Amino acid sequence: MTLSKFNCFTIGVGGQGVIRATHILADAAMAEQYPVRTAETHGMAQRGGSVSGYLRFGKDVHGPLIPKYGAHVVIALEPSEALRSVQYANKETYYFINSSPILPLSIYQNRKISYPNLEIIEKELSKITPHVHIIDALGLAEQAGTSKSLNVVMLGFAVGSGIIPLKSKTIEKSIEKFVPKKALQINKTAFQLGFDEGGKIHE
Amino acid sequence: MSEKPIPKIAQDDPGYKMIMLGNEAIARGILEGNAIVAAAYPGTPSSEIMPAVAQCAKYHPEMKVEWSVNEKVAFEVAYAGSMCNVRAVAAMKHVGVNVASDAFMTAVYHGVRGGMVLISADDPSQFSSQNEQDNRYYGLHALAPVFEPSTPQEAKDMMKFAFEYSEKYNIVVVFRTTTRLNHGRADVVFGTIDKKEQTAEFDWDRNRWVCVPSNTRPQRADLLHRMARMTNDADEFPFNKLVLSDRTVNGKKIGFVAAGIAYSHLQDALVELQLENSVSILKLGLVNPLPPKSLEKLLKHVDVLFVVEELEPIFEEQCKARAFEFGLSNSVEIHGKDLLPQQGELHPETITAAIAKLCGIDYSTSEVPALEISAPPRLPQMCPACSHRNIYWVMKKVAKKLKKKFANNNDIGCYSLGVYKPLEMADTALCMGGSIGMANGMAKVLPDDVIVTAFLGDSTFYHSGVAPLLNAVYNQNDILVIISDNSFTSMTGGQNNPSNGILLTEEVGTQIPIEEVVKGCGVPADKIWIHEAYDMDGLMEKFEEAAKASGVRVFINRHMCALQELRVFKKQKVVLPVIKVDPEKCNGCQVCVRQFGCPAINFNFETKKAYIDQSQCRSCKTCIYICPQQAFYVEK
Repeated sequence: MTLSKFNCFTIGVGGQGVIRATHILADAAMAEQYPVRTAETHGMAQRGGSVSGYLRFGKDVHGPLIPKYGAHVVIALEPSEALRSVQYANKETYYFINSSPILPLSIYQNRKISYPNLEIIEKELSKITPHVHIIDALGLAEQAGTSKSLNVVMLGFAVGSGIIPLKSKTIEKSIEKFVPKKALQINKTAFQLGFDEGGKIHE
Repeated sequence: MSEKPIPKIAQDDPGYKMIMLGNEAIARGILEGNAIVAAAYPGTPSSEIMPAVAQCAKYHPEMKVEWSVNEKVAFEVAYAGSMCNVRAVAAMKHVGVNVASDAFMTAVYHGVRGGMVLISADDPSQFSSQNEQDNRYYGLHALAPVFEPSTPQEAKDMMKFAFEYSEKYNIVVVFRTTTRLNHGRADVVFGTIDKKEQTAEFDWDRNRWVCVPSNTRPQRADLLHRMARMTNDADEFPFNKLVLSDRTVNGKKIGFVAAGIAYSHLQDALVELQLENSVSILKLGLVNPLPPKSLEKLLKHVDVLFVVEELEPIFEEQCKARAFEFGLSNSVEIHGKDLLPQQGELHPETITAAIAKLCGIDYSTSEVPALEISAPPRLPQMCPACSHRNIYWVMKKVAKKLKKKFANNNDIGCYSLGVYKPLEMADTALCMGGSIGMANGMAKVLPDDVIVTAFLGDSTFYHSGVAPLLNAVYNQNDILVIISDNSFTSMTGGQNNPSNGILLTEEVGTQIPIEEVVKGCGVPADKIWIHEAYDMDGLMEKFEEAAKASGVRVFINRHMCALQELRVFKKQKVVLPVIKVDPEKCNGCQVCVRQFGCPAINFNFETKKAYIDQSQCRSCKTCIYICPQQAFYVEK
């Protein structure tokens, strides 16, 4: 084990599966013998609010929080939520973003607040890093069998890019551990669909 | 049906490694330490401990577990276990300890028979709490030892050890954690489940267990002796670690004192600055009392001491006092809150920057360009089909109709979210049960054109709403109490409580209807209204009646928590009707999104029509009622 540390920040909206995605990656990192730490949003903050999962692994990892500018990867299950992660990003950070928005109620409460469109989000994030990658994960999840597998599509997308230093086989095994049996095939398909898209980002 | 396999957490499989949530690791420690009694009241960030303990209890039937109705009762239940010679634990969030403190403060005088641990889950940064009090102070306040783990592995190991320690020193151990420990995962290696002979028996030692002054005065003297003994032995505490380094940084020997999650962040910061082998560190697992000899060695060894602690300067003040005692005030420079914030959780980069500044190291991170847009705020909110929203809507309409104002004293629960737009229906909220208590006081002083109300949920009512309701009846304080009963302790994750009568173990207990409790408190039957929360017409009519009446009266708004009902629907494969918006009827007034605020309703600003996000809609049909144009309809 030579990897010093790897920091992956996952963000989305309560109910999208941020915590599950973080848990799957944590389990896979442990299976590859790394010390692992996560920090997650539970409780009141979860009620339809923004939810985040910090994941860190490697031989020099001690605390659960990703330092400012410290994320190697950001996985955003909702596009505007990607903007909430910029404090963790640097010029080498890889962004993996799902394109389908979930509108927050704040846009109806204050006329000055509006939901930014996808092109603007992409353009803005590209000021920080050239590695901004967006897919229609909702579409792929529905193709796999249920919109609920969106988080696993996004895992596949990030892993397929080759940026996360874990073997896809290990992650697939972790998915098997945490997904109910009857939904396993759907999730395997979801992971593969995302994985194939991830492979294309270097083209 | 096939037998479910025993969950890993309950298996006697020493050496097995798995990813565990901090709270699960604590539960595993409770099992490995062979606690017999475990009681708790749910509260973020402690809530996941008890369900994990209950999973263990299913396969270790000697364990007796319960959701108690409040933290004080949970503490007393556990403490009675200790009195009866078996190991016991009570778990709660930090403010729950305030509720339990009446029992706790004197229990330390009596001491323990079976080892007893009080878990306090603190919440720096107030992710889900009304304050960020630092419960390490309870150790200093009560003369009790306080343990604080820095990783989930340590949480498990220290919890197991805490029972042994409690028995050795005849004291209740406070086990303090913070959110990032409770709600963080890590690889944890199991230990053995050490079953010891524990026979529950009571000793009828009334000179010990009765809190009359003739007993507790000598116990107080003994408590001081016990604390002196714990202090004397603190240097040998197995989860404390002193590392001294002779190296210097820019000509000075640097030392640190840290504990808990702050210690983990400190380690990260030292790696970042490549200082991990160049400094001295006293890592504390026992955060009260502090180890005198280790502290003396460290203070004499270093030129500069930096205390890295979250929230209050508890270690810092003690370090400064010790330095003074040892005559080191002029030889060692002590830093703490001058370099770190006293509010909010610590972040690794804050510590890194503070160390760099202190040591004169050049440390700059690559600045990233500021963006021209930011994410729109996404606050937590009441769920689609939440019954609390319905009664708030009705209250607003009734106030308008009667041309009166409500002074709505609110409470702790999902309904606290009613403070936010668009409903803005919570006027005060202070603590569990505080709604009724404060309403009592307002009723005494406010003029008649204000209707004084108290608003709380089922679990909060059982927790600490009964006593202030009795008070209102007794003193004839004219208040309207609204109990929004959704049958679950929802905000903390949908735990069972007396409203549904199901126990922590999922076995059937005794259901206690709220109206029966209310009657028992002396509220006459004609001053109690009960109504189904999804029937908006009826709710409106009955609530108006209640608002117009006088005297102590109680309105019970009732519908099962929408999240829990969805689970029932899924299990029973119920097909819900589809609700839609008729674009012909929708005139774009936006009452639904700007005044009602159901998350399942959206508005298209281009077509100027409302629409329903079908993935979120639970078909409660309330939108059909609130829309002035009747644009919502059930699809046939």
